[in-house]
Amino acid sequence: MSLLIKTHLKLARISIKENRTRSFLTCLGIAIGVASIILILSLMGSISRLISDQVKNIGADLIVVRPASNKDAMTGIIGELTASNSYQRSNLAASDIETIKSIENVTAAAPIALSTHAVSTEKNTIGSVTVLGTNADFNLIQPLALRFGTFIGNNENVNKTAVVGHTLSLQLFNTTNPVGKTLTVMGERFIVMGVLSEVEESINFNNVDFDNVLILDIKNVEEISGMAQIQQINVKAANTDSLAEVSNTIREQLKEKKQGDSNFMVAYGDEITHPAGSLFTIVSGMLTLVATISLVVGGIGVMNIMLVSVAERTHEIGIRKAVGASGQNILLQFLFEALILSLLGGFMGLVLGYILAFFVSIVTPFAPYISLQILLVTFGTALLVGVIFGIYPALKAASKNPIESLKHYR
Amino acid sequence: MNDTVIELKGLTKRYGYGDTESFALKDFDLTVKRGEFIMIMGPSGCGKTTLLNIIGLLDRATSGEYKLNGENAANISAARQARLRAKKIGFIFQNFNLIEDLPIIENVALPLVYTQTPRVARLKQASSALSRFHLQEREYYLPSQLSGGQQQRVAIARAIVSDPEIILADEPTGNLDSRSSHIVMEELKAIHEEGNTIIMVTHNPALTTYATRVINMLDGQIDTDIKTVADHKLPKPVETRKKRKGRSR
Repeated sequence: MSLLIKTHLKLARISIKENRTRSFLTCLGIAIGVASIILILSLMGSISRLISDQVKNIGADLIVVRPASNKDAMTGIIGELTASNSYQRSNLAASDIETIKSIENVTAAAPIALSTHAVSTEKNTIGSVTVLGTNADFNLIQPLALRFGTFIGNNENVNKTAVVGHTLSLQLFNTTNPVGKTLTVMGERFIVMGVLSEVEESINFNNVDFDNVLILDIKNVEEISGMAQIQQINVKAANTDSLAEVSNTIREQLKEKKQGDSNFMVAYGDEITHPAGSLFTIVSGMLTLVATISLVVGGIGVMNIMLVSVAERTHEIGIRKAVGASGQNILLQFLFEALILSLLGGFMGLVLGYILAFFVSIVTPFAPYISLQILLVTFGTALLVGVIFGIYPALKAASKNPIESLKHYR
Repeated sequence: MNDTVIELKGLTKRYGYGDTESFALKDFDLTVKRGEFIMIMGPSGCGKTTLLNIIGLLDRATSGEYKLNGENAANISAARQARLRAKKIGFIFQNFNLIEDLPIIENVALPLVYTQTPRVARLKQASSALSRFHLQEREYYLPSQLSGGQQQRVAIARAIVSDPEIILADEPTGNLDSRSSHIVMEELKAIHEEGNTIIMVTHNPALTTYATRVINMLDGQIDTDIKTVADHKLPKPVETRKKRKGRSR
């Protein structure tokens, strides 16, 4: 059998070489389909890796509590994405933080309450600045590099403290080091305690651009705007082993506190990126489906050219059968040719796809992501297309009547 | 050892049904012994080629019995029929039927591909078969680069390369001039003298001198059947073939 496979491979090579142009065009059909799948998968791969890297950077011992509705998963995701979290009425209150903090194995709990306010200094006024209301624990959970000064809440002598982002500092004070200076939010004066270092990645799971943020204590935020909308509570567990237990306790205690209303969600590990991850899965699934259509068109090209090849070589099929080829031999000969065509196309598509992904990565922050999985999926699909669209012409060749075929002249 | 290679009993091949019904073979009986060189003659359309195709397992009879080496052909699976064609039967056609894209050595080696012979061994066997017909210097020529007589000798080399028991020739000299015909017939004669069974269809009565038995067909039936050589004087096959096999391997 292996001998015959070798022969089939050789014959396929000869046949493809002899019809170089048409083989190339057929491969191109497959290549375009495969390239679009590669492009989509590699970009989606790089995006989801970007997201999961964020979580890894923060630490594996993080638990996140978010307000949630009791909708089903799919619409929930759409809802979470379309409704801006900042304007959503939050189900979490400042008192919940105390509840969480009192749970065993919780080392820190920090709220994230984002709002937008006008901020002014002696020199400048900026109409809309993202204000992050949190507490001192924030820096324990996700240590932010401070360029100057200290984080909020570290000086008990000063009540109203603030930390500004790198870019915001320049905009408000025209200097990188405004520590000790004051700024005004809603008529209240705050002393700048620290300045954040410039952040490289502007995307993170907190949805905060740390270069342009003003960090205040959540109590101060409540004072100036009446009430703080807590979008998220970040909880740090003592160790990774207690994550499940701690998150369960949080769930139970909060539910009890809210009289049985479970209008919040508790997540840890990969679940944190779940909404974003699911969206990308949906989008990439849809896009892959569209790309598959072009692959099917390519497959039809393979089938077409194989039918031509079978018709052209009817006489040869007759000769081969007369000297001892069985139907199976002929079937495999033509099936191999189709398989090699689509595998060649798959390989071309792989190269083409990565070149395209590379060009896309020039204009976007997404580096093309190569994984064994993607390679296997590509070659798997190419092989599948080869079999599906090659089997009919091969069956047609195998079922040819040798006597009729011998009469068929070129 | 059973000397009967082919046994046909009441063989009928019908084409069409009802008004369009016609018979290529009708109640055809024939027994072929090992070492016979049979020439089949007869007008066009009398069923000669159909007979060869059925004997060569390329076609099936509508009814009747065909026993090849005592085995009923109707009971042989398609896959085994193909294997038998590769190992036991050699075909020679009027129009040579070589694959134009393959060099002649690959053409000769073709039956060996389907008997799963390793590549080197099959090229070696093909090469020795070609040298027998004085074509060893043209092994890598394409068929179109050879004359008709040479092409037919390539085809004969292909027919004998796997040491078959039966060689079926359908007007092998039909497309050749008289000189090439003579060479081809001498080659067939030599093959026959090594003990091969040959069944050949021809229109040329002059060639019947090579045969040990001449059958005239008419309308799908035997008209005359003349044996020119007594059965016991037929060439003895077994030892000769074994000797030749030993040399080529």
